[in-house]
Amino acid sequence: MTNRKRIKELILPYIVSIIAIILTLIPIYWLLITSLKKKKDSFTRPPKFIFEPTFENFIKVWNNDFYAQTIFNSLLITLIGIIISIFIALLCAYGLKRYKIKFKSAFMKWLLVAYMLPEFLFVLPMYSIYQSLGIYDTHFGLALMYQVHVLPFSIWMLRSFFDEIPSEIDDAALIDGCRPLTTLFKIYVPIVIPGIVATSVLNAIWMWNELAIAIGLTFSEAHPVTLGISQFRGYASIDWGGMTASSVIALVPLILFSLFAQKHIVKGLTLGSVKA
Amino acid sequence: MSRHIGYLFIAPAFIILFFTSIYPVAFSFYFSFFDWNWGNQENFIGLDNYLFLLTDPEFWTVIYNTFVFASVSCFLEVTIGIILAIFVDRIVFCSTIIRTILILPLMVSGIIVSMISKIMFNNLFGVIPYGLKQIDIRSSFFGSTEAAMPTLIGVDVWWQTSFVFIIILAALQGIPNDTVEAAKIDGASEWDITRFIRLPLIKPIIFLVIIFRSIDTLKIFDLVWGITGGGPGISTEVVQTYSYRMAFGFLEMSKSMTVMVIFSMVVFTLILIYSKFEGKSDE
Repeated sequence: MTNRKRIKELILPYIVSIIAIILTLIPIYWLLITSLKKKKDSFTRPPKFIFEPTFENFIKVWNNDFYAQTIFNSLLITLIGIIISIFIALLCAYGLKRYKIKFKSAFMKWLLVAYMLPEFLFVLPMYSIYQSLGIYDTHFGLALMYQVHVLPFSIWMLRSFFDEIPSEIDDAALIDGCRPLTTLFKIYVPIVIPGIVATSVLNAIWMWNELAIAIGLTFSEAHPVTLGISQFRGYASIDWGGMTASSVIALVPLILFSLFAQKHIVKGLTLGSVKA
Repeated sequence: MSRHIGYLFIAPAFIILFFTSIYPVAFSFYFSFFDWNWGNQENFIGLDNYLFLLTDPEFWTVIYNTFVFASVSCFLEVTIGIILAIFVDRIVFCSTIIRTILILPLMVSGIIVSMISKIMFNNLFGVIPYGLKQIDIRSSFFGSTEAAMPTLIGVDVWWQTSFVFIIILAALQGIPNDTVEAAKIDGASEWDITRFIRLPLIKPIIFLVIIFRSIDTLKIFDLVWGITGGGPGISTEVVQTYSYRMAFGFLEMSKSMTVMVIFSMVVFTLILIYSKFEGKSDE
């Protein structure tokens, strides 16, 4: 192999990566600078790259009661959703690991199907069921419906973390006279705390970004932040400042948060099939 | 007692999943045989909804749009994602930072991606149409029936290629070193190793990624709802936005449920294929 060819082989990956990085960052960069533009600076031809930045869009969005409320709603919904899913998934993952369950593989297939079927198959009937139960347009109702997605996901994730715990620990605990629930919460849970955190973060990202289920099951009281952002998208008037500033507010904490789960993202995305 | 205690641990998950999945699916299926439109009354009409939809050209256009969107986006995302992963896999210096940046799009919600697209592709003030005009290309993007779908696909490719990329990269990095070293000693070039050793080794993962992406693209909702709302005309209407419009716009509840029942069978078939593969890899 000639020297020139070697250098080419070494440099090419960097060139490709740099192009990919630029293409990835341009839209995010454009979102950011549009949110910092005054109205007169956003609607110009040619589009302005240099302008006097302002925070007025953020102040305006933050003072928009409806938007601020949707942020609060999403926080609450995400929190309820995480508590329900983690607690129930811990029990379930422990049961699946520790005991002989008939129809175990059928149960796992059911999880997969529930996780993957299209949202509106559930949302349409739930719209009517929720109204008769009185949980339509409530935080709890939305967090409950999110379980169709986050609960199977959490069970998979926690199960794969539990699988790394040797079963001798169970036997030792049994000999010490630990009851099953004690074993789960006193022995298993402390070991898999990193797994629980990663699962919660990935669940939170999903619930924070969810739209289809929220559109069907909320009216105004429990609107999450995705619908809070979309209200700036009005058909008649275009409010670019509002659209971008509200997006940035919703996005920044999420990106920072996701850095915590970096290591587990691949495992999460493939339901534990691929380890990184 | 102790023989059945395992079921107690699973019971809460069972109950919640029953309520959030089996119950609504049964409800949808049942009402697909009625003519319910939010009123107090519904009549049993047998297979009329199914026959109506299967003979309705609009329904077939929607199905066609959905499959065009899903197959083209899936193909592009998988191809670009794999190529990108192969290159990044070779990078030693700065690889963590590169990876962190390249998966950023996955953190951005569909609705935010919609907002960005609406702004960047805006016909009057958008930066992309303006840039193209400088090199004498007239563009319409979301404004015309011909260009709207390709643009939408382009946006999805920006958004979800990272998904393929990050998984394939992890798979490539998980390949044991000794296999590759052996080939290197035999004098194989990097490209040969990639083509004849690495890619065949991660074939199952590539298959898994294709299934995941095809299910996800078939289910597309937020991008379409957020950017075009199905327009112009019905040129970008996909199954889930169609079903949404039918149920909440035209109040055709039963017909909308029928759409979802028919469509879910397609998705269900894909899930079955996946779970068969999943079962095999466990052995």
